[in-house]
Amino acid sequence: MTTSTLHGLAQAAAVSRDRAQRVLELKSGGKKIFGYLCIYPVLEMLTAFDIVPFRLFGDINEPVTKANNYLPTVVCPFIRSYLDLGLKGRYDFLDGIITSHICDVGAGVPAIWNYAVKTKFTYHIDTPHTMRESAQEYHRHLMDSFRASLEEYTGRKLEPAKLVEAVKKHNEQRALVRALYDLKKPDPPLVSGAETIRVIKAVQSLPVDEGNALLREVIDEVKARSTGPAKKAGRLMIWGSILDNTLLVEMIESLDANVVMDDTCVGSRPFFNDVKITPDPLDGLAAHYLNHIKCPRTFTTDYFAHQKDHVSDLKRRYGYLGDYARDWKVNGVILEALKYCDTHGYEVPSVKDYFQEIDLPTIYLEHDYTPGMIAPLKTRVQGFLEIIA
Amino acid sequence: MTSPEKTKVKTINRLKSMYALRAEVDKMYAAGEDATATGKPVAWVMLGQWAEPILTAMDVISIYPENYGSVCAAGGKAAPYLEISDAEGFPSHVCGYARNCFGYSAKMKELGGVIPPEAPMGGMPRPNLLVASSEICDARFKWFQALGRYFDAPIWTIESPYPGLRESIEPGTDERSVKFLISQLREFVTFLEQLFGRKINWDKLDEVARGLAGINRLRWEINRARCAHPGPMHSKDLWSSITAAFFRGSESKAILDGFGKMLEEVKQRAETGVSALNVPEKFRLSFDGLPPWHSLDIFDKLAARGWNFVIESNYRPYTPNNIDLSKYADPLERYVRERFQSTNNILDVEYEPEEAASIRDEIKRTGNSTILQIKHVRDCQCDGMVIHILLSCRSASLPLPAMQQKAQDLLKVPALVLEGDMVNASLFDPAEVLKKAEAFEETMSYYKQLRKEAGMPW
Ligand code: SF4
Ligand code: SF4
Repeated sequence: MTTSTLHGLAQAAAVSRDRAQRVLELKSGGKKIFGYLCIYPVLEMLTAFDIVPFRLFGDINEPVTKANNYLPTVVCPFIRSYLDLGLKGRYDFLDGIITSHICDVGAGVPAIWNYAVKTKFTYHIDTPHTMRESAQEYHRHLMDSFRASLEEYTGRKLEPAKLVEAVKKHNEQRALVRALYDLKKPDPPLVSGAETIRVIKAVQSLPVDEGNALLREVIDEVKARSTGPAKKAGRLMIWGSILDNTLLVEMIESLDANVVMDDTCVGSRPFFNDVKITPDPLDGLAAHYLNHIKCPRTFTTDYFAHQKDHVSDLKRRYGYLGDYARDWKVNGVILEALKYCDTHGYEVPSVKDYFQEIDLPTIYLEHDYTPGMIAPLKTRVQGFLEIIA
Repeated sequence: MTSPEKTKVKTINRLKSMYALRAEVDKMYAAGEDATATGKPVAWVMLGQWAEPILTAMDVISIYPENYGSVCAAGGKAAPYLEISDAEGFPSHVCGYARNCFGYSAKMKELGGVIPPEAPMGGMPRPNLLVASSEICDARFKWFQALGRYFDAPIWTIESPYPGLRESIEPGTDERSVKFLISQLREFVTFLEQLFGRKINWDKLDEVARGLAGINRLRWEINRARCAHPGPMHSKDLWSSITAAFFRGSESKAILDGFGKMLEEVKQRAETGVSALNVPEKFRLSFDGLPPWHSLDIFDKLAARGWNFVIESNYRPYTPNNIDLSKYADPLERYVRERFQSTNNILDVEYEPEEAASIRDEIKRTGNSTILQIKHVRDCQCDGMVIHILLSCRSASLPLPAMQQKAQDLLKVPALVLEGDMVNASLFDPAEVLKKAEAFEETMSYYKQLRKEAGMPW
């Protein structure tokens, strides 16, 4: 069955399983397809140039074999898996790849990819790590270079009106995802954590208009159905590294808990703030992608403060997590990080401190991006749920 | 005081000029002790060196916890700190230097801010300021941010532009990066002036910056001289002197003198055919990755087999910028323009024009260069590379397997892969290394034959 004959959650599940099917159809109709790694590449710009953005993931079920020749085992297993898929030809259909300076490994892998996999067009955005004025300016200039590279690639000038239209469409997508997350606020939630990941994965595999149509269908279906998740003792939030598969969340939801909120990048992170439409749309995009995505890859602090105290610093960095916990009535938090993910690993004690301040129990799970990780973690989650209960 | 080497087996012919430079590490920690006595502010700083000249010009003492990690590791004192870091909830795979620092800081906090009595080299005094950096690795800012659990010191992160390889040679990229560096260092100066309530001494900044540039140029010339046959300077001498080069910039006159003497000694050895080994040089090697500070005597054992580590890819001096600084009136701009490292400058200075053009073309077409990362192996005509994959350092480990592939494909030079850590001694097995080394000698001989058949010069 092709994904186009399905609707709503069934379509989301099918697209998230066979992600390339739709973009391959589009490609055969002459569309250009660009992969993007992580959530910092500026998607609106691709859409404005009529290029379909396609989020790049790994495959937890595919053992890493070929990437061992190019990446050591001591780096992010998700990136290793992504490179491995590239080496095995799974991303050969892409016309281009956009990367950004997410973390050390995310910044280092593009050159290795270019050496070992070779995609026709690649572009790397050196997203800064601070938000001071100097970094804002630098990032704004990078937007110009990115635009120029796409103009050279397509042989067309960027049309500001098309960019504004693209910003609106992507903002609409952000609003729709937030509307979907609102359906996780009731008890029981109307949509499960695993379903949410599938929907987001599907949306990130489709052109923005089709993603928005899918989201509308999903929202309508979820509101109307009577077969949603059951009421359970645990209303959990997940914070941490990329979860581009449902294994961990399905395991948690097979126990006495629903995952009602997340702060992860195949989840709420790319969608919870809109891009401001500014007279020059590149200004709004530059500001958004540096300042408004909440990810620990960016160094957040009160930059010019002469005095600092830990508790205020925690509130500044993680206050939004407290808001999520309150609004989604969370009673426990799972902190998860991929092994060798420094970006999230260094944060763990401080995030724990924050949740301790607001009296929410936490558990830290480290995992290695293999299906085998689930069984040992299950016992730990069970123990955690007993504490919450 | 403890020195980074535990044993002195005489298979390596150490440079005499190294000893004075090695002694500088003691002075750095003594300066920290003095600071406590005199009430001078202390900053904990991440290596990268943008910060130190500015801090020195603000009369602030720079202390490097990163270096302290290697000091604790070399003195066998890191293990208890690593354990505390684990107990504090930091994942065990994060940077070993950071774990050492978390353990140390947690202990310091527990003791009410005083230096733990067992701390080697007199310890690091409590910081008044943390200066993090996004240069080289994420640990450099994530780690200092995490120190907020132990100290209420204000924190500043210095950014370093890091464009992709293809983007790095696009017109406009270098100028954009230079401007970014200048404007954010200006923000840093403003912050410091407000924090400490005094003005920066621009002349001092100029003096320290010139000194650092001089040190770098000497190190760059030393590295060029190291490619002689037999190799005149062993990697151990580089590692012993690196603290002086990286962490003692504020004392640049003494360090300049030290590296000047080292250059003379290396050149003289090169001219007279004096080897860095006291046994015949059988194999010339490059060391790639950070060294196992806790087990440096392994190199003496390898030297006994005729292994001469003639060069390395880490701790390399940057390629000097041959520009006329008198054009720039602003000391901050002079400082940045002199030290800024760009792919364009590397290509212009380190390569013949024809090769530089072909590398530029390769980068434009493919977004990659085969030779850039492994040129040191070619320049020094190495027979093999030793690649040290570090459990806790993503930044140094990440490029190594691809470098291995490139060296094998392009230069027909094989690599011996070792796994371990720069701080955690329990991950490194010297007996296993020696066993692997024996087998690797056959591989190196085989590849030498391949190079000969391919008509390569070594
Ligand atoms: S999971 Fe962590 S290490 Fe991996 S790409 Fe994301 S931030 Fe980087
Ligand atoms: S480069 Fe490696 S060893 Fe140095 S601070 Fe970064 S992670 Fe630690």
